[in-house]
Amino acid sequence: MNIASPAPLIHPSRELRDTCAIVGAGTSRLGRVPGVSSLDLLVEAIRNALEDAGLHASDVDGVLCRGPDESYSHHQLVAERLGINASFSTTLTNGGASQIMSVALAVMAIRFGLAKTIVCGFGRDTWSRTHANEEARVRNETRPASLLPREFGPEYGYFGATAAHGLGATRHMHLYGTTRDHFAEIALAFREHALRNPAAQMKKPLSLEDYHAARLIVAPFGMFDCSLRSDAAGAVIVTSAERARDLKQPPVLVKGFGTHNNTRGWFNDDNMVVTAAKQSGEAAYRMAGLGPEDVDTAQIYDCFTYMVLTQLEDYGFCKKGEGGSFVASGALRLGGSLPCNTSGGQLSEAHAEGMLQIVEGVRQLRHTYPTNRQVKDANVALVSGHGGNQVCHSTLILGRA
Amino acid sequence: MMTDTRPKPKPRPAPESLPYWQAAREHRLTLPRCLSCERFWFPPSRTCPHCLSPELEFQDVSGRGKVYSFVTFHRVYHPAFEHEVPYVVALVELEEGPRLLTNILDIPPQDVRCDMPVEVVFDDLDAEFSIPKFRPST
Repeated sequence: MNIASPAPLIHPSRELRDTCAIVGAGTSRLGRVPGVSSLDLLVEAIRNALEDAGLHASDVDGVLCRGPDESYSHHQLVAERLGINASFSTTLTNGGASQIMSVALAVMAIRFGLAKTIVCGFGRDTWSRTHANEEARVRNETRPASLLPREFGPEYGYFGATAAHGLGATRHMHLYGTTRDHFAEIALAFREHALRNPAAQMKKPLSLEDYHAARLIVAPFGMFDCSLRSDAAGAVIVTSAERARDLKQPPVLVKGFGTHNNTRGWFNDDNMVVTAAKQSGEAAYRMAGLGPEDVDTAQIYDCFTYMVLTQLEDYGFCKKGEGGSFVASGALRLGGSLPCNTSGGQLSEAHAEGMLQIVEGVRQLRHTYPTNRQVKDANVALVSGHGGNQVCHSTLILGRA
Repeated sequence: MMTDTRPKPKPRPAPESLPYWQAAREHRLTLPRCLSCERFWFPPSRTCPHCLSPELEFQDVSGRGKVYSFVTFHRVYHPAFEHEVPYVVALVELEEGPRLLTNILDIPPQDVRCDMPVEVVFDDLDAEFSIPKFRPST
């Protein structure tokens, strides 16, 4: 007798929910750290994350890192410097979406017994690399020849991520009446948060007048719409929820994650105004059994101000096209309805391609910040990662145990 | 007046793009079109991204479209553009569907708008390359 098996009522990804926890989080020195390579910055962050967790390098059997370009970090070189052999280690190449993807991969590997305790991290020495001398500056701005598109770009004077994201910003402004004042509020809110963070790279207040007076880079983006060049690294340590119970810190559970890559291209479809945060977020919400209304704080990948605005819409914190009025309400500020990038983000704390957003999500959920930095009663944090020629996206939802 | 001798980056075409650049040299805008599903695409490749058919031909297109989006470069990323800032780089959506990155000429940057109609013009870079650019059309 054939009996059709019923469609599963619960999505299979649910099985991963709450199985693993982040038990350690650390950063390197941030901002301007001359004379330290990206690799050593990352090792510094990992050392701090291990100390935070009360673990030793010998407890780690997995290393997941964002892939190398130029002098960026690499799992083999990192593991060598940690003095460990790894059961599970690899390098990811999804740009700024890699860091959350590494946590996602860690959860899957641990859940299915491929490793027990995995460190995920990324470090870069971008400030030093671009400011060491004039030659370094020019080389960085034009990107290595091997990475340049050879046609359909440079001949038009089209270079860099600022222009690529700016195209999305212009289209969004056209469709929905979004303004530079809306973008400014994002920059101002995150700067205000950075002023509460002693480790942040940016130390001076930012006013609306400062924002509008700053030179334009690639309009509609001016200087304060663009994220920082930083020497910076971050790392987190993932292990099973069961093991986490015996460790030093209150465990922060991985409740959900999701990824989506709009690999048809940033220029195609509506991809520059409806980002892959939409599907990546839906997958993460589904795994977590949560929705945008359950999120207490968001740590959003802020390579440019506009990218925060559109991702907030795509995650369902407001409707598509209403991001401008949502941010103008003051929602993103500490004390607002959705405190966002509470350490200052990549616009004002430091830029480590999304790694510091994961660290900040963990720290908020531990409730150990002084009251002026703590999101009150934060139980759920959403973290986003975006990159890989603008089309790769990842989402992480963390929760207090 | 000093002449800036620093050259602009020349296209270094992929093999599959050669027909595009050869046509551009003759001031024709041509795109790959699928012989199976009849749709156009860009940038050129040897398999239709809509239906995966390998049967294609390059066909001249109207050269008419509209600005999907644009940015204005104020910062000099490459020395050859030092005297051109501020200049507009736009993504133009052709009537036939595909979107092309390009410059918008004959209009002050502050007057460029999304969805404004544009038509192709060819900028002769050197003996080898003419670059398809666009200007406002009526």
